[in-house]
Amino acid sequence: MSVKTFNRGLFLPHYKESTEDKAIANIALPGEVVIPLQQHIGAPCKAVVSVGDKVKIGQKIGDSEAFVSAAVFASVDGTVTAIEPRSNFTGADVESVVIEVAEKQEEPSWSDRDISNMSGDDIRAAIKEAGIVGMGGAAFPTNVKLSPPKPVDVVIINASECEPFLTCDHRVMVEMAEELVLGAKLIAKAVDAQQLIFGVETNKPDGIEAIKAQIEGEEGIEVAVTDVKYPQGAEKQLIYAATGREVPPGKLPLEVGVVVQNVGTAVAVYEACRFGKPLYERVLTVSGDAAANPGNVKVPIGTTIEHIIEQCGGFKDGKEPGKVVLGGPMTGFAQTRLDVPVVKGTSGILLFSEEMLVMSEHMPCVRCSRCVDHCPMYLYPNSISMNAEKGLYDQAAEWGAMDCFECGICVYVCPSNRPIVQLVRDTKKAQAAK
Amino acid sequence: MSNDLSLSFNTSPHLRSKNTVQQAMYDVIIALLPISAVAVYIFGINAVFTIAVSLVAATLTDLVFRKILGRWNTPFDGSALVTGLLIALTFTVEASWWTLVIANVIGIGIAKELMGGIGYNLFNPALFGRVSGILFAGLFFNQVNTTFAPLSYQAGPVDVVTQATPLALLKMGAEMPPMAQMFVANQGGGLAEVSPLALLIGGVYLFVRGHIKWHIPVSIIGTVLVIGLIFAGPELAVYHILAGGLMIGALFMATDWVSSPVTPKGMIIFGVAIGILIMVFRLALSPTEGTAFAILIMNAFVPMIDRLTKRPVFGEAPAKAQAQAVSAETAGKPA
Repeated sequence: MSVKTFNRGLFLPHYKESTEDKAIANIALPGEVVIPLQQHIGAPCKAVVSVGDKVKIGQKIGDSEAFVSAAVFASVDGTVTAIEPRSNFTGADVESVVIEVAEKQEEPSWSDRDISNMSGDDIRAAIKEAGIVGMGGAAFPTNVKLSPPKPVDVVIINASECEPFLTCDHRVMVEMAEELVLGAKLIAKAVDAQQLIFGVETNKPDGIEAIKAQIEGEEGIEVAVTDVKYPQGAEKQLIYAATGREVPPGKLPLEVGVVVQNVGTAVAVYEACRFGKPLYERVLTVSGDAAANPGNVKVPIGTTIEHIIEQCGGFKDGKEPGKVVLGGPMTGFAQTRLDVPVVKGTSGILLFSEEMLVMSEHMPCVRCSRCVDHCPMYLYPNSISMNAEKGLYDQAAEWGAMDCFECGICVYVCPSNRPIVQLVRDTKKAQAAK
Repeated sequence: MSNDLSLSFNTSPHLRSKNTVQQAMYDVIIALLPISAVAVYIFGINAVFTIAVSLVAATLTDLVFRKILGRWNTPFDGSALVTGLLIALTFTVEASWWTLVIANVIGIGIAKELMGGIGYNLFNPALFGRVSGILFAGLFFNQVNTTFAPLSYQAGPVDVVTQATPLALLKMGAEMPPMAQMFVANQGGGLAEVSPLALLIGGVYLFVRGHIKWHIPVSIIGTVLVIGLIFAGPELAVYHILAGGLMIGALFMATDWVSSPVTPKGMIIFGVAIGILIMVFRLALSPTEGTAFAILIMNAFVPMIDRLTKRPVFGEAPAKAQAQAVSAETAGKPA
């Protein structure tokens, strides 16, 4: 079996041992859920319910007429108690629908449709109706991504899960391989692609086997087994590893005839097409060295991270963590409060102890070249950071800041602990303002 | 559980490797222990004295300049100790204590701290200090020695004064010591000139620890070897590698992070240019200071080398090739 990979990057300790073999569990419902009306890239939704309304699980509560947007749905049976701005995972206040969870929850009933005869337009319509977005973190509306203005010949399902600690995609692969493959086929059909590739890192052998068992003997479908290297799950790096194609700077995967979708998204597409089930719940990983009982859980969208942490046994030894991160440890968002809700793009809740954090002051760049060696985009993080630090944003852009997708490797390897990714963000902001 | 936790907040990424500048500096010191040990074995207490004076001068210079320049609170990174040790190793045991002090004050104080501190120096501080120290000693030796006569001190009798260094022998065309002896432990020249083997052990350690790459040392040594083969013949070519400051220069000075290029391509250009300069100095000009001047000269070209060897961004090269292919195709078509 040949293992595929991309250039540069770095093997990271992946810390997946504590959760990779734990089956996806359900947790007790919270007292209320907070569902932001914007959980995606694009236009925010407007509430289509009012305070006092009784809502059913899967009922649409927010919608938008804009093409680039995604509807949001009630994730529980209950009563709308407020529609007001609430803090989200980025720290911004976002208009949200607050639902008090009813004591008695009814089993939702779904239709059962024949997916074999669905056309591309049928599939896109079902996806739009279900409010599906990319569940790997970026949360771009899926129906938009599957309406390509250029021909696509390859669909890649991103099952790399290269971020340390996260295992939710891994568990979905193992436990829901059939749904995953059916969803992936629907995605390929929607864009009329001839080839379907599952990109999986070698550290998920059971996931690779589960997918292979589903696609045995089928033409045009394969598993691309990739090296365990960060950031293998970055779109451009995955496309390069799986197909040898390089997406040009500043361009989308479409430029080389590829669409990439995440594992969770593919399963959501299957459920939307077959059952008409909207995206109102997701699987995520609770982990980190300060988590009492790490695991993978399926939770309603809008559940606060506080509730999920409590359901997973709280903090290890009852000791407060030093940091709480939503998403992966390399690209996720640090939280200042715990009443923020899980959204469609939340892949993990990570609790880190003080010991896990490096809080030392940063020093000047000593040009050790480690960032240059490992940058998967072949940029010069050293020169970017030195220039951006002095406010020389044009020079920072010349050394590649605009092509950076903020994977964080440069900061990880930096012996001077320099905030390079933050300086890249500053550069992008300054250049955009021009 | 509520919102009154004191959670630390900063932007991604949230994981760090264990790399620190301090650790790297201590590794350089460890890498310099074998050569220091051989120097002490050969020169005895005088070598200990030379190293001690230089380390004290380096530490005091670092402290004084930090205080003056308001960098008191910047973390202690160990780089001054590395510079102090390197400076000591480039001198002979005959060097007067005040030459060592001048070398450290100029190397650490002026070439590094006044340039903006660690990371901002264009020139290698140890070499800059050494060359300045030599110049000062040459210009003011008698004057200063008279002034400081009561303070001049040698820990033990110096018995190697009259012996010509292998590098001088090489220039004169005199008979060289046996090659194996020169490689392992040979008296003569500066502290770091006594054992290429010990330097090599230190260099391999730095390579294994991931602090240096092979490109600079190999291209310097390779270039010296090739030019030596052409102009001096096979035997003398090997002596050119073993003699003088070439080994410590190639392994420890030219590989200094701050004053060398950041990409392998740039490192090879840098190394080859240093190798050529060394041989021009050695074969056509003076036998001494060739390596130091070659490296210092190329230090000044590093920003230019980095710029000229800038690699294309991921996806840029194939996109360009495709655009060229398309334009060639359309150009070939009849209008």
